[in-house]
Amino acid sequence: MSSIKDPIREGLASGWKVFGGAHAALPSNITCDVAIIGSGAGAGISAELLTRAGLNVVIIEEGQLKSSSDFKQREPQAYASLYQEAAGRQTKDKSITILQGRSVGGTTTVNWTSSFRTPPTTLAYWQEKFGLTDYSPEALAPFFQQAEERLNISPWQTAPNENNELLRRGAAKLGIKAEVIPRNVKGCYNLGSCGMGCPTNAKQSMLVTTIPFALAQGATLLVETRAERFEIANGRIVSLRCIAVKPNAAPVDRAGPATQIIAKHYILAGGAINSPALLKRSDAPDPHHRLGTRTFLHPVAITTAVMPNLVAAWDGAPQSIYSDHFLNTQAIDGPIGFKLEVAPLHPVFFGANLPGFGEKQAQLFRQYPHANVMLALMRDGFHAQSVGGKVELRGDGSPLLDYPLTDYVLEGARRSMLAMAEIQFEAGAKMVYPGHEMAAGTSTWADTKRSIEDLPMKPLLTKIGSAHVMGGCAMAADDQRGVTRPDGIHWQLENLSIHDGSIFPTSIGANPQLSIYGAVNRLAQALAKRLTNKDVVLA
Amino acid sequence: MYGPPHLQRRTFLKLGFASAVVLAVAGGAVALMQPGLQQGKLTESSRLIFTRAAQAILAGTLPSDAVRNQLAITDLLDRIDTFIGGTPDHVKAELSQLLGLLGTAAGRLAIVGLSTAWDKVNVSEMTLALQGMRVSSLALRVQVYQALHDIVSASYFSGQESWAVLGYPGPREI
Repeated sequence: MSSIKDPIREGLASGWKVFGGAHAALPSNITCDVAIIGSGAGAGISAELLTRAGLNVVIIEEGQLKSSSDFKQREPQAYASLYQEAAGRQTKDKSITILQGRSVGGTTTVNWTSSFRTPPTTLAYWQEKFGLTDYSPEALAPFFQQAEERLNISPWQTAPNENNELLRRGAAKLGIKAEVIPRNVKGCYNLGSCGMGCPTNAKQSMLVTTIPFALAQGATLLVETRAERFEIANGRIVSLRCIAVKPNAAPVDRAGPATQIIAKHYILAGGAINSPALLKRSDAPDPHHRLGTRTFLHPVAITTAVMPNLVAAWDGAPQSIYSDHFLNTQAIDGPIGFKLEVAPLHPVFFGANLPGFGEKQAQLFRQYPHANVMLALMRDGFHAQSVGGKVELRGDGSPLLDYPLTDYVLEGARRSMLAMAEIQFEAGAKMVYPGHEMAAGTSTWADTKRSIEDLPMKPLLTKIGSAHVMGGCAMAADDQRGVTRPDGIHWQLENLSIHDGSIFPTSIGANPQLSIYGAVNRLAQALAKRLTNKDVVLA
Repeated sequence: MYGPPHLQRRTFLKLGFASAVVLAVAGGAVALMQPGLQQGKLTESSRLIFTRAAQAILAGTLPSDAVRNQLAITDLLDRIDTFIGGTPDHVKAELSQLLGLLGTAAGRLAIVGLSTAWDKVNVSEMTLALQGMRVSSLALRVQVYQALHDIVSASYFSGQESWAVLGYPGPREI
């Protein structure tokens, strides 16, 4: 029996105000100072800062409240309860599968803990193209630093597992720089189960840091509750209509009662895809047709290697080594750049993501302990042919991301597969399988190179996934170019702030959690000051 | 070739699974079509479709012993039901339409490329059909292949008994 404490169950026992699902019944009316939609990276930071300022805060989360006692390191349960659309969210033409969190803590509950400040080249592009003059590395540095201290973010000190080490080893042989990834963990057991919810509370997700802080200060949390629609009048949000939903996001009772929330100020932090969708459902003003456009992913291409030695890619910190070589050695607005990382491999993820089937596949399954999957996260949004996707609404109001894979992105998939395969062979790979429906495994770099060069790079045939959603409510210095002002306020709705990854005008070019923490830390401090005249910082 | 060539690829994508095939088979199948899910679970017809898909997709992975093989498939189908139970309503609706269409002769021929009825299809025929869908120039057929592949593979490896095939020792005790 585990002796690990569960801070959420302890908090519930101490009288936290939690409603919805199996908790207390949802009230029909709530009045508060600030209503925060979402409970992920941007919502958590905002909730802590605003409760510190003494404000009465209500947090609305569509997913369930799960915590360390529930996290059993089992993929099926985790995917069903902690991810959007049971970890099967897809873009409109089904060519990209998106891993996005959906429980208290949002994606921070299930991410692999990689924590990077926003790259200076990305910020420079925002300054130049979107007039975000205040978004410089220097201006943001103190806000990143506070978030790093609050969430215990620092480069991983333990030796990387073989899955990560082989990226460093292969890259070094090619003269490519690879470095250690900073992680948001405290007392990490090095289990490798981050993607299924941390069973030891070592990961400093919003679930175990800012959200418990806010609840202990008297904030209210609504779970299994969807923010359906803002009522808007005269450039202001009048109220927010919420409904109870089941674990699969279906309404509990379509004709049932709603919860009406009336707040002085609203913070939208449902993440890219969901945040633009709520504004669209609400018929929010959008005079320049920017809402939901330029929604970005880091489209990820993969190659799988079979190594001669044991890799055990399920064991140990999932991501501890990365390379930005292919981001830094070319112009940001040239051919698409990519960041190299590796993926932890558990049975469902491995089984479903390897292209192919049948007897040949069966042989590859048996190589699982020796398998390495390398990832290239492509930096979308910095080029005329790189406009990302568009959030639409289905008939039932749920969001659907239309994200056509352009030749510009797919050319990057080819280049990145070449780069990854070469690194894998340099690290000693016996076989490499490009992530493509028409690729076979090949045993030499020369054969693999020829194979990848000949592959037709088409949507669906080229296997693309993503775990990072950004944009759709972009910040810009004027309302022609964006949805959100540089101070996080909606351009047309004065009592609405947007505090999540949807405000980024491009993709980040790095795992985005720390970009969200840093940017929102500054936005929420300024908002707290405006609403209360108090100065607050993260603990 | 499968499906009328004059229908452009984008048309299929816009219409989604069901409507595209309704067009492709010119309405003939519609009258015969039954939903592929009932009360959110696979119908007998849908269980047979997933059985045939799994026998080919997991060839060499499923147990070779006949009794254990049958048990593994029954477990797999139950896990597919569990998986579907956790998906949003729009996914359930789409799957139900798709499986309903695949259950008709016209839909089976147009999408999967199989003239043999589901209860008579053997593993080699199914393997050829899946490979044809996998690299088809028609996006709809690739989408259906990937849906079958991903659901079968993910559901199979959701079961702890699959870990031995992979050599996965299971999570570390804490």
